[in-house]
Amino acid sequence: MLDTIGVDTDRPGRARRVYYRVVYAIVAVAIVGLLAGMVVGRELIGTVIYCAGVWLGSGIAFLAPRLTDVPLQDERDTELYNRASGLTLGILFVGGLSIIPVIYVLEAAGSIETPPEVTGAILLASGLFLVWGVAFGVVKRR
Amino acid sequence: MENDLPQRREAAGLSQGELAEAVGVTRQTINAIERDRYDPSLELAFKLAAHFECHVEDIFQPEETDD
Repeated sequence: MLDTIGVDTDRPGRARRVYYRVVYAIVAVAIVGLLAGMVVGRELIGTVIYCAGVWLGSGIAFLAPRLTDVPLQDERDTELYNRASGLTLGILFVGGLSIIPVIYVLEAAGSIETPPEVTGAILLASGLFLVWGVAFGVVKRR
Repeated sequence: MENDLPQRREAAGLSQGELAEAVGVTRQTINAIERDRYDPSLELAFKLAAHFECHVEDIFQPEETDD
């Protein structure tokens, strides 16, 4: 695939740089498109640009390493991703475990009123852990 | 894990990029191994040993502890 977009696959370092730059540039365009759409009141167009950019960037990020012999990502990248993901989940887990029950208890006691943003954040974190649990189960059985 | 990869690579007249290409990883990974910031997988360790025609334990040694 990288051959077809003019990347010199005889130079793996350059191919890797081009790969990351292309992916990051597409995602950056998507985010700018979404923000620009909000600013100029063309939310639908901004959303379409954002979705197209994210899908295209994700597609390239997923497919390119599988369609070329050039090592765009290797075992160290995978370990770094795993460690960063584990750290992120650990922070969310400790934060959630220490904060969410407190919020529920105080709200039940009538001491606080939970804003919808906090409820949304709690649901988002809960959904993330649910997805992680399902993914863990799938990976464990493969 | 300690290793003498830099010495072996330089003795073979290879750059980090050339060695990385030979064993199918990125230059950054070879750099991280040489600086003891990353322990390679068994697969990569065996590839490196095969490339330098030696045993894995000739390149990689466990770090010495005071125990």
